[in-house]
Amino acid sequence: MSEKLIDGLLPSGHDVPFGEIEAAFARLAHDGRRRRVPRALLATVIVVGPPGRLIPAAEALDQLGDVGVRAILISEGTQAEPVARVTDTAVAVSGLAPKYLNNAVAALRLSSLPAAVWWRGGSIETFGDIAELADRLIMDIEHPDELWKAALGLFERTALTDLRWAALTRWRSALAHLFDLPNVRRGAAAMKQVTIETGDRPSARLYGGWLKSSLPWPSSAKLDIRQSAASSAPLECVSLDCGGVAVNLRMREGKRCLEGTASASESERIVPTGDSSLASLIGEELGMRTRDLAFERALIAARQIPT
Amino acid sequence: MQPADDRNPLLDGLRIEPTPSPTALIIFGASGDLTRRKLLPAIYHLSRGQRLPARFTVVGIARTEMTDDQFRQQFHDSLKEFAGVAKPDDVSSALARRLFYVHGEMDDPALYRNLLAKVQACGAPDGMLFYLAIPPEVVGPVADQLATAGLTTAPGADAWRRVIVEKPFGSDLDSARALNQRLHKYLDEPQIFRIDHYLGKETVQNLLVFRFANGMFEPVWNRRYIDHVQITAAETVGVERRAAYYERAGALRDMVQNHLMQVLALVAMEPPIAFSAENVRDRKLDVILSMQPFVNDRDDADHVVRAQYVAGWVNGAPVSGYRQEEGVNPASTTDTYVALRAYLDSWRWAGVPFYLRTGKRLPKRSTEIAIQFRKPPLHIFSRVSPTPIAPNLLIVNVQPDEGISLRFEAKLPGTRMQLAPVMMNFRYGSAFGRAVPEAYETLLLDAMLGDATLFARHDFVEASWALITPVHEAFARAKASEIPTYEAGDWGPHEADALIAADGRRWRTL
Repeated sequence: MSEKLIDGLLPSGHDVPFGEIEAAFARLAHDGRRRRVPRALLATVIVVGPPGRLIPAAEALDQLGDVGVRAILISEGTQAEPVARVTDTAVAVSGLAPKYLNNAVAALRLSSLPAAVWWRGGSIETFGDIAELADRLIMDIEHPDELWKAALGLFERTALTDLRWAALTRWRSALAHLFDLPNVRRGAAAMKQVTIETGDRPSARLYGGWLKSSLPWPSSAKLDIRQSAASSAPLECVSLDCGGVAVNLRMREGKRCLEGTASASESERIVPTGDSSLASLIGEELGMRTRDLAFERALIAARQIPT
Repeated sequence: MQPADDRNPLLDGLRIEPTPSPTALIIFGASGDLTRRKLLPAIYHLSRGQRLPARFTVVGIARTEMTDDQFRQQFHDSLKEFAGVAKPDDVSSALARRLFYVHGEMDDPALYRNLLAKVQACGAPDGMLFYLAIPPEVVGPVADQLATAGLTTAPGADAWRRVIVEKPFGSDLDSARALNQRLHKYLDEPQIFRIDHYLGKETVQNLLVFRFANGMFEPVWNRRYIDHVQITAAETVGVERRAAYYERAGALRDMVQNHLMQVLALVAMEPPIAFSAENVRDRKLDVILSMQPFVNDRDDADHVVRAQYVAGWVNGAPVSGYRQEEGVNPASTTDTYVALRAYLDSWRWAGVPFYLRTGKRLPKRSTEIAIQFRKPPLHIFSRVSPTPIAPNLLIVNVQPDEGISLRFEAKLPGTRMQLAPVMMNFRYGSAFGRAVPEAYETLLLDAMLGDATLFARHDFVEASWALITPVHEAFARAKASEIPTYEAGDWGPHEADALIAADGRRWRTL
């Protein structure tokens, strides 16, 4: 199982004993046959997850490889010194016992540069421990409620986010632009209902949490999340009924652009959805360093929205 | 400025930069080259990057008769030619619907009534940004008309009116003062944005970050450690279609008075107490005010060389001389090359020469700042490695290939102690792997946001003209036969080499 995973993660790497990973990095750094143009190293990215979710992450980081990250890919197991596979910018460690995960990361991260942990699954206890080593902790699991609960206790220890939050950036900024209009802002005080159509309920909860924690949300206002059976997209449509002002955001046909309208001002806006590939989203996250208070507030509010 | 209690609650923590309030961008000179090449593509890229407000309108103004639809087609054509947008996409189509056009004579009050009606029909947004992409002699009359039509006065606390003025800001000190006074009749200084696209370039902005966000460079950024500074702006092109303007301007007024002075000020300025428009511009002004005149009676030294290109070869093709260019006076004395030596009377820079040079039809298109450090006081390796050591050099590449390089001495691998200079390179293109925005995108957005940090202030412009005008007057007194020449494709005249050689230095070969 371990060998198969490692083949999938870094097919072109070299297998080395666990204790010789650093030496292998140094050797490869001076190998003139490297395929990429070397770039400035900007961060270490540690990906933790089950085998099936590590491979797409490895592929995404491979696309970002020339943006300057050292990737450490770890799947949990029972071994203390598993075999590692090393390329010039990445190391894959398969089957590492959770209790050694911290030690491994501490040894392999680039000490002078920020470290981001991309959490794609694993034990909740390890998630809490690894926060000590991470400058940024990026959650990215299918059913996040337990993880979100654990995350609430980590706000003071590291900068937290969920990859869904990055996927919602265009949706948030598109709506925010419509709120540049003074009459839309004024209308928000008379909010009656927000309807979110989604293909991914956690995304909709996060978006709803963001709205509830950002807008003057009257106690009578309702949030209705509707699951779209035909879609797996984070969001399909967001409608705000603010008394006399109807604000609407929807994905246009072709899924390339969002269309925003605000009835009171007859304002219309079309923005590209941007690149929503895993590589693009994680690339965007790696550009962030600081605590995101808007996310933290949204997460707290999202936890109150039924799963 | 938005009142604090009426701020947009959804912008909090959003990973987008601030967005301007609803804006109408009114471009005077909408059928011109600058609009097609730079402004329309910049608007498109800003829209794609979600940097424009929800209510955003463009009104193009020019003498050319055109309908709204024809202007929209010009927009699409411009994107195709200059932004690589082969066919209209969702973003460009949505933007095109918000493009309008008004034609008329710039001094005709009816034009401004039509403009006002058009803007009101578009919903009269909070902000109006007037971009004057027009010849300098028309700027004053347009400002008069805008004021008369009431377009320079904001109707309420949330509203704003701003004007972007393209260079040249005058043609000498007197005309610059007159232009500033005329603009100040109707507009406060914070409403006036004098655009110098050099300041929008990523590397030029990075100069501030490089100097003031790093602790290791500033301690050596002074006369104790720096031997001299060279600032070069080299172009391979000739005058192209700008002969009428260039004949009056020349390299000195086209490049030195604005671009090179701005760059010099950023290199030499003291640290501002904060990164704000007024603080940064105050410190830049100090630099210009501390510069010794280029023309003075204090010494006999010649601090300025001018020249004009004659026929030669550029990029492997024969090119004609300046006087043979279309639209150029066959007896023209216009300078196409200028080299200057500047000294600053300040504690930081006393005695450190700043060499500036710019020219057309040079062998390579390149703009760079080279800061050469002093050699070590003692060459302790001279017996084992007799080759003279190269002084440390910090090179800031402004264009192309934006980045920073540092040259230092290293030991050659081997058993002998041999030294050789090596370069440590940082390149924007490869380090961050993301596209660098065009200068006009940055500057247009800054103007909509009311951030004047990267724009020239009136006192800087006048101080700069105070230095340059006497040089130009000296040029004007010279006879045509006295202007040195250089062959197109050469790095300037021998006189420029002599200027720097007199100090025991030489120009960098780019």
